[in-house]
Amino acid sequence: MENLSARSGGGRTGISDRVLGGGTEPDPRFTLANERTFLAWIRTSLALLAGGVAVEAFMADLFGPGLRKTVAALLLGLALLIGGGSFFRWLNVERSMRRKQPLPLPWIAPVLAIGGGLVAAIMTVFVLVRPV
Amino acid sequence: MAWGRTILSLTVAAAIFLRWMHHHGWFVGTLVAAAAVAALAINVTRKRRFHRAINGIKREALTPNVASIAAVTASVVVLASLGIFTVLLIPLEQ
Repeated sequence: MENLSARSGGGRTGISDRVLGGGTEPDPRFTLANERTFLAWIRTSLALLAGGVAVEAFMADLFGPGLRKTVAALLLGLALLIGGGSFFRWLNVERSMRRKQPLPLPWIAPVLAIGGGLVAAIMTVFVLVRPV
Repeated sequence: MAWGRTILSLTVAAAIFLRWMHHHGWFVGTLVAAAAVAALAINVTRKRRFHRAINGIKREALTPNVASIAAVTASVVVLASLGIFTVLLIPLEQ
């Protein structure tokens, strides 16, 4: 096995060692691509966060308080799950690359699909049944 | 650029939180401050991260930036948790 500290250029800290575990450093381009994907998930989470706040702040005239709170809490909960899950997705992909194993499937993708679909369904039902 | 786009997203989130202060009072100020501080911290450390990435590509060895990634995750998780707390437990002021 290749010498880890020699490949890393001495840049590894104790935290990195503990979090990433064993294996060898992958191509830096793969590491940077994984970081960019993580940031894309974080931006998705921030968009959901802003959406949740917007529903609560701007929809007072349109939605009743119960529906408004439910949709806002759903969006904010989804933002929490996606934000936290994006770290574990990043970590699992990084560990897999270091051990030259197949990349894991991201569980946050179905969570986002189901959560987004649920919120969209609630809004559709509301638009269809609300009195004009 | 990915970090720059994240700064922009955090700034937009901070601006939307600002609108929320009207409904939920001063507590939302902590969310505005948290989002703004996170955006500022990313901006301040951006140059260092860029040079680190460039050097890593040049040397063909790059250690993942665990601390930055953990810090961004923590910021978003804290913002979302405080947001849920605000929606469910802090009454509307109007």
